[in-house]
Amino acid sequence: MKINCNLVKFDEGLDLESGARLDSFELMTETYGELDEDKSNAILICHAFSGNHHAAGASEHSEEAGWWHNIVGPGKAVDTDKYFVVCSNNLGGCAGSSGPLSINPISQAPYGKDFPSVSVVDWVNSQKLLSNYLGIKKWHMVLGGSLGGMQALQWSISYPESLNKAGIFAAAAKSSTQNIAMNEVGREAIRKDKNFMNGDYLLHDIKPRSGLKTARMLGHITYSSEAIMDQKFGRNFQDIKSKIDRDVDYQVENYLQYKGEKFSDIFDANSYILMTKAMDGYDASFATNGDLEKVLSRVKAKLLVIGFDSDWLYPPQRSKEIQLAAMNVGVACSCVILEGKQGHDSFLFASNRYVDILKGFIES
Amino acid sequence: MNIQLKNIIKNWIPNESKVIDFGCGDGSLLEDLIDQKGVCGYGVEIDHSKIQECIIKGISVIEKDIDEGIQDFESSNFDVAIMASSIQCLKEPHIALRKMLNLSKQCIVTLPNLGFWKCRLDLASGKMPVTPNLPSSWYETKNLHLCTIKDFEKLCESEGFSINERFFLNDKGNKSILSSNIPNTFASEGVYLLAKK
Repeated sequence: MKINCNLVKFDEGLDLESGARLDSFELMTETYGELDEDKSNAILICHAFSGNHHAAGASEHSEEAGWWHNIVGPGKAVDTDKYFVVCSNNLGGCAGSSGPLSINPISQAPYGKDFPSVSVVDWVNSQKLLSNYLGIKKWHMVLGGSLGGMQALQWSISYPESLNKAGIFAAAAKSSTQNIAMNEVGREAIRKDKNFMNGDYLLHDIKPRSGLKTARMLGHITYSSEAIMDQKFGRNFQDIKSKIDRDVDYQVENYLQYKGEKFSDIFDANSYILMTKAMDGYDASFATNGDLEKVLSRVKAKLLVIGFDSDWLYPPQRSKEIQLAAMNVGVACSCVILEGKQGHDSFLFASNRYVDILKGFIES
Repeated sequence: MNIQLKNIIKNWIPNESKVIDFGCGDGSLLEDLIDQKGVCGYGVEIDHSKIQECIIKGISVIEKDIDEGIQDFESSNFDVAIMASSIQCLKEPHIALRKMLNLSKQCIVTLPNLGFWKCRLDLASGKMPVTPNLPSSWYETKNLHLCTIKDFEKLCESEGFSINERFFLNDKGNKSILSSNIPNTFASEGVYLLAKK
């Protein structure tokens, strides 16, 4: 598989939904496979909250396989032997694209908490500029799970002529009250970490690691399901030698400690707040006063909406709502609810049926 | 679905109408309707392998148990709802018909006729009927509510459904003189276009 990783600079800048403007910005972008001569085989993957541009196989830039390597690769559901697959780190992220860690050209210091608020609509607009840069007039498909699914949905609304198909997995047309509530607990943990320094921690060369860790531990619970936690850890005790913290009793505690710790090494706290705010703020029907049908009536892409039965963060009902609104206004839309033990995270795993449906839809 | 039956259904579907096919199977009827009549079509199916075939054909398909889900689509305003060879498999066929006519102006129903002479012969000789239209043995069949042409039309009358058009096919799938004139005995299958009175 041919993998390219590039930092693409956009000197034209971007007007953001908030009214702010970025005079220029950069998107860290990875591509897999090769673009056809007529540029008709391009697929855009949008990442979820804590994802990044590294979606598929290991590369010279990263030894680890990407976050969606189960789904994207040679011969896989999103087949990089046939399609040119693109994934970029969202604006405001912390994996190379412009975000709180970037240097503010005015102050010549990192933006930190002053990086402007971004939204799902802004991400889609920035990705549209990326498609112009790549010379792609029409994506064969735009797809993603969770917050990535929201971007795929928004693509079909913002740029109806610029994609043939959209895949919206484990997502919703808007964040629910419960989603916002969960995110606020995470943000509160970060803000109340004494090292957060009101968002100015970079100036003091420290990091609110403990807050980030707690936020991620809660996140992992919401991405999982009761059944898979029970199956993976049960009520088993962690053996003394491999305990991360002496207060740990059970394996599940150790797992959450480990995951939280690892996350706090790599993720930026301001970016965490920015990304979760973007997620909370998403409502596809905001411009039409809550009328989802009205906003979907402009969609021209064929939609594939997939929910997972054990997902309680973006439960199957959210998928069915998108399907029903699309059908009510005559937009082509298929909807299946798949078995997936992993809760919200099920969209990351390649169950047989998920792969068959996705492959069938891409190639139909 | 045989060609004769497909043609009857096709003729009843207005061009560019909005159609929902409950129990759409592999989506081949919808595929024809989309290609030939330019309809905006959706299928509802529960069988995983049939859903997969619909997806491959590019047909919009929704995974749902018809017994539980018809009313979910009430807001969709369809021109025609189709239920081919499935009504007798539902838990409450009369309620399903009411719901279909709540979400659609017209509804097309096809059903096997238990009054067909071959069924009567089977029953007279003391066996459950097995015919081309009722191919499964009694222990394998998904049919819960079999009826005759007479029974079905009586239901339509008592429910206040108007039968706008109907055709009766013999077991070769043809509109024969006998099946058309003495349907309760000689039709193997009834095909109805229903609307609310």
